[in-house]
Amino acid sequence: MTRKNNRSMIQRRLIPTYIFLAIVSFISVFPFYWMISAATNESYDVAQGRILPGGYLLQNFQNLVSSQDLWGALANSFLYAIVQTVLALIICSLAGYGFELYHDKQKDMVFSILLLAMMIPGVATMIPLFKMISGVGLLNSVWGFILPSLSTPFLIMMFRQNSRNFPIDVMEAARIDGLTELQIFYRMYAPMMKSTYAAAAVITFMNAWNAYLWPKVIMTDTKAQTMPMLIANLASGYTTDYGVLMLGVLFCSVPTMVVFFVLQKQFAEGITGAVK
Amino acid sequence: MKKKKGMNLLQKQSRAGWLFLAPASLMIAVMSFWPMISAFITSLKTGSSANMKWSEPIFYNYTRMFSDQLFLRSVGNTFLYLAIQVPIMLVLAILLAQLLNNKDLKFKGFFRTCVFLPCATALVSYSLIFKSLFATEGLINSILVNLHILSENYNFLGNPVSAKAVIIIALIWRWTGYNMVFYLAGLQNIEYSVYEAAKIDGANGWNTFWKITVPLLKPTIIMTFIMSINGTLQLFDESVNLTNGGPANSTITMSHYIYNNTFGTGVANFGYATAMAFFVFIMVGILAFINMKVGDTRD
Amino acid sequence: MKKRLISMLLAGTMALSLTACGGNGGASDGGNSAAGGDENTLVVYAWDPSFNIPAIQAAAEAYKEKNPDFVLDLREQSGSGDIETAITTAASSGKYDSLPDIVLFQDHWIHQYVSDYPDAWQDVNDADIKWDDFSAEKLDYSTIDGVHYGVPVDGGTVITAYRVDLLEQCGYTIDDLTGISWDQFIEIGKVVKEKTGKYLMCMDGDGNDLIYLMLQAEGVSQFKDGKPYITENETLKRVVQTIVDMAKEGVLLLTNSWSDYTDKAIQGDQVAGVMNGNWIIPTIEKVEANSGKWEITSMPTLDGGKEGYASNGGASLYITANCKNTELAKDFLAYTFGGGEGATATYDNALKNGGVVSTYIPAGQSEVYNEGVEYFNNTPIYADIAEMGTHVQIIEQSSYHYTCRTQLAAAIVNIINGGNMDEELKNAEDQLNFEMGN
Repeated sequence: MTRKNNRSMIQRRLIPTYIFLAIVSFISVFPFYWMISAATNESYDVAQGRILPGGYLLQNFQNLVSSQDLWGALANSFLYAIVQTVLALIICSLAGYGFELYHDKQKDMVFSILLLAMMIPGVATMIPLFKMISGVGLLNSVWGFILPSLSTPFLIMMFRQNSRNFPIDVMEAARIDGLTELQIFYRMYAPMMKSTYAAAAVITFMNAWNAYLWPKVIMTDTKAQTMPMLIANLASGYTTDYGVLMLGVLFCSVPTMVVFFVLQKQFAEGITGAVK
Repeated sequence: MKKKKGMNLLQKQSRAGWLFLAPASLMIAVMSFWPMISAFITSLKTGSSANMKWSEPIFYNYTRMFSDQLFLRSVGNTFLYLAIQVPIMLVLAILLAQLLNNKDLKFKGFFRTCVFLPCATALVSYSLIFKSLFATEGLINSILVNLHILSENYNFLGNPVSAKAVIIIALIWRWTGYNMVFYLAGLQNIEYSVYEAAKIDGANGWNTFWKITVPLLKPTIIMTFIMSINGTLQLFDESVNLTNGGPANSTITMSHYIYNNTFGTGVANFGYATAMAFFVFIMVGILAFINMKVGDTRD
Repeated sequence: MKKRLISMLLAGTMALSLTACGGNGGASDGGNSAAGGDENTLVVYAWDPSFNIPAIQAAAEAYKEKNPDFVLDLREQSGSGDIETAITTAASSGKYDSLPDIVLFQDHWIHQYVSDYPDAWQDVNDADIKWDDFSAEKLDYSTIDGVHYGVPVDGGTVITAYRVDLLEQCGYTIDDLTGISWDQFIEIGKVVKEKTGKYLMCMDGDGNDLIYLMLQAEGVSQFKDGKPYITENETLKRVVQTIVDMAKEGVLLLTNSWSDYTDKAIQGDQVAGVMNGNWIIPTIEKVEANSGKWEITSMPTLDGGKEGYASNGGASLYITANCKNTELAKDFLAYTFGGGEGATATYDNALKNGGVVSTYIPAGQSEVYNEGVEYFNNTPIYADIAEMGTHVQIIEQSSYHYTCRTQLAAAIVNIINGGNMDEELKNAEDQLNFEMGN
């Protein structure tokens, strides 16, 4: 009885929080709703800002599929984004682990130098990079896409920062148990950093999926084009079909959202694990 | 004897550390530093790419930018965005993360997904949506007119001040959820028992926030701060897609202007463009350095 | 369990990336080259599936009559900007092998491209093209020091389209708007705005082409002897003043962006008049409800009493240095767009499928051009456009065309917002001089 009262009291105290979160959620989600609704409307209505869903979804879909290689672009985007995410996570988490848990003066210095790499606007290095990638014949390939962003100071920094919460005594204990340094990494460190991996995966996947300028420059073959490039094609020219465009955008947005949705369970697991 | 063995072990561990960070560091060296060096050399040259010559004097491109009114305006715009948008966004992000990290809160996953959704939305749709919302005949105008805040429809994207405001609002909308994810991840690495203990000691929410959350989140806060400074100083997407730098270049950012000089509507002037990029590089460096010095208390 | 999942994921990734590598490597025979591999294939970059692309497809169809094995690998780009980026990237990095065989781009660029990247192009001087049958104004762009670099696709002959039904409501006919002065235009515009609520003129305020168009109708350029000609240019000042007056009087709708111009102003049915290169016609035609209510005529001029003509945009096809099948490319272009045996089929289908109006003068005589167009009140607008194209005056062109446009557009926005005209034009000229390195 008292416990129940207590609980309802807590919920009552949280009412302002709920209201605030509801407002923030509404503002965040509304444009997304508009996008879905627009995908079901005729171009003219979309440009006029119609908010209600319409009956043009099927027709928009037919127009989209007939004018663009939707499935090809989706497959390419998935390929590039997945390969980049998996490899970047491995390379950068190893580095973050190395930089933080074995840190000494020289390593800290190397880390500071690496940070310089993210301070320059990407446009400036694009042409030299293009020269390099095309020089080794990697235009139109997954490697050309991922190589420049496999190792990013940002991801390394993220793993390094979060490694600070990794208890040193666990490492010591593991060493006494006879584990090699690499074994400590994948048996102890990696499982404990689950939430960091999840967040890093979401972010890397998102960046890879939404990348536009770099793929635009290196993917000269239509067969290698990505979803954002396809959408840019839809938005081009002297007349844009907004219904079809928004349907394309919807196809482009769903995967990143699914990735977040799937991985956010990992975050939640982190919480409940800690409480237990 | 025992001591010497310890030394060996430490050396061995240090070597293992180097091995872990080697692949990533080498890749950055090849994929970032090499192009940067190459870009730096270009920044000392003038002329079109087919016949580039060393500048006379050698830092001509660097001195030139300070008499370029348009570049100076882009610097001013970028710093304005930085000063207004980053603090608002980060405070909002911590606040949201803190609210969402409450174990009594229901529908956590739902709220979290909602708040994160904006940054997962593709750029094209996001810019399209904001343009439509803030259009002269758009939804925001009809709301404001109906509430009698405005007497007639206003061209938000057509006025220099309101166009900047729209960019800032759009940035906050898009990136708050993104930063919140970091805080949430950081908060979830903090043992919940710390909060329980604080509660038993009678600390209120405000106190726990300042005495426990902020100090424990400090590494994350520093990181997001640097990321946001970096992101804002290199701001490109919003300037290109929402306003295209307009009206009359009043919202153009540094990166956008650099892009225009590299590929865009101007005549490609790659030497000058890379020189401006190195100006951005130095600015980011200075700000990040200050930030780390102020924030890094690890000894 | 978890470990197995991770190792599976890893193995999967490796397999994926390997197949991807192999797959793409095979497709482009090991190299980067975007250009066609075998001797009957040409790779072309073009943009806009509702305009230019059907024109090029029409040419490919026509050429197959002569060469049945011909394969056109048409790679759609999201806009002319993509092609410009591809050219700049390839040229800046010295990797011309990433370019296709043929590119389509807007004519204003070629002067700059030839002077900046002379090795990127192959001239078409010796191709069997009937140069004398093209409008001289159009060829003036793609001919540099007497050397032909491009083969014209569409012209940019400017049309001024009006909603005759709305004009009628206000007591005017299209003849009342032909050969008038801009001052008279403003007076009519005010009446139209008052009675119908629609603007008689519209333009993208960010990429404002009005200045160039109105100047060309007067036979004046923004450049003189390769230098900006702005603060000293009295005609330009009158043009700017006219544009500012039009905007202030509610006669001209200046939108914030290009997409607002096409999608909100024109397709959103806010206007009673549109003036731009004839490639704007498909955009006007998107509002099906207004079919039969539009007609076209020439431009007003500053002093009136004569009709104004100008040209804006329009693109040509250019052969890149990366093209190995140069003879095939030249033959293809000459046979189709260049006035060869396939020209009639090419231009007729380009017009039918894409609304692309040629600058090849004989094309205007074909039946297709002389048919009445239902949307434009059954008037033969394409023949009219072809005719108007012959009157466009040649004015000095510059590599800095778009830089100049950007600066002047900004000046106009500032003047409308209360800036001083002389100061703003001075700023624009200074910035332009700065970018030109003067």
